[in-house]
Amino acid sequence: MNQIDRLLAALLWLLGVLAIAGITHIVAIFALPEIAAKDTYARISELAKPGQLTILPPSRPDKQVMPFADPAMVQSVCPFDLSQGGLRLHADVEGGRLLTFSFRTSAGQVFYSMTDLAAQQGKIDVVVLTAAQLEIVEAEDDEDDPSQDLRLIAPEPQGFVIVSALAVYQSDKADAEERVKSTACAVEQVVQD
Amino acid sequence: MKRGYRPHGTILGKFLSAVCIGILLGLFVTIVVVERGKGFGAIAAGPWTGWPRNGTSDTDPYTRAILAYSGEMSLSESEGMSFVAHGDSNGAEFDPACDYALMGEIPSSRYWTVTLLSPAGAPIANAAGRPGFTSSEVLRASDGQFEITLSRHARPGNWLPMGAAAKFILVLRFYDSELDAPGAALDAASMPGLIKSRCE
Repeated sequence: MNQIDRLLAALLWLLGVLAIAGITHIVAIFALPEIAAKDTYARISELAKPGQLTILPPSRPDKQVMPFADPAMVQSVCPFDLSQGGLRLHADVEGGRLLTFSFRTSAGQVFYSMTDLAAQQGKIDVVVLTAAQLEIVEAEDDEDDPSQDLRLIAPEPQGFVIVSALAVYQSDKADAEERVKSTACAVEQVVQD
Repeated sequence: MKRGYRPHGTILGKFLSAVCIGILLGLFVTIVVVERGKGFGAIAAGPWTGWPRNGTSDTDPYTRAILAYSGEMSLSESEGMSFVAHGDSNGAEFDPACDYALMGEIPSSRYWTVTLLSPAGAPIANAAGRPGFTSSEVLRASDGQFEITLSRHARPGNWLPMGAAAKFILVLRFYDSELDAPGAALDAASMPGLIKSRCE
């Protein structure tokens, strides 16, 4: 084996290493949200049951449920599992005070979000469904009296809704908590006749 | 020995070493990228960096991996937008021995909040029990201007205590803003500056 052969062999080996490194990197970047999704959903399921709105404990220096959370926001979470039925969210909005809703997949990715400004006549009514459940619900619709619900199709059966209210002053925390708690979150049965 | 002949053991060894080193290198690069925490599509305005399309389904895979790794539930488009500062307006990293003044223009939004956090996103304990300011809490001059002083020691006016943290970041959040609307121009002049003042 002369020197050029050896150099070529080394170069080939290096290219192989780089190719494998590149593939590993791409796979890892795409796999990370999937791995973290199980973790996020498990963490949230520990705190709250599907169809139950639970206020998240405020972040403390030694313990935080959600890193980077805004301490001025009172946050609550309502997980959903659409295999048990749809999820109905209802909120009465009082004027001018910030209330936000984000509908997320189990990995925490948002598929829909709104604030209190989207309320119609002071009310927010959202139903989260799978595509199959939506068909059933639509088939039962009364044409003369259309439903005022906002119907969302979830990209996957499991996920959660985060409802947050801003406490504009630190002394408003209790009030913001009340506003979050007044949001109703419940499993809605979808049955075919 | 014939020229070019190599025992099978060496070829297999080379192949295995390439696979092992390749996988390690790939994982190492991934960790470095994710730890650095910068995806594509970031907007830089003075000391602040924001990601307008965070949290939505059309974020790039890097941003998604970074968010998943940090565990952050980023604000969605209609909720608002958040910006992070790791240093002052001159580009120097925050030094807890120094005082900083947050002042200048602030984009319009329904509410905004500014929060002091550890680089990992945890609140920092401080004796005053103040984690940050909201747009309603901040004391303003008669012309509407304001200045927030970041310091370890009590300061008059809007004092944001640093606690005993060795490292910290600032998070500025705008709720119900038009900042992520297409065409919304954002530059250093439209965002508040972070000016270093005296150091211990």
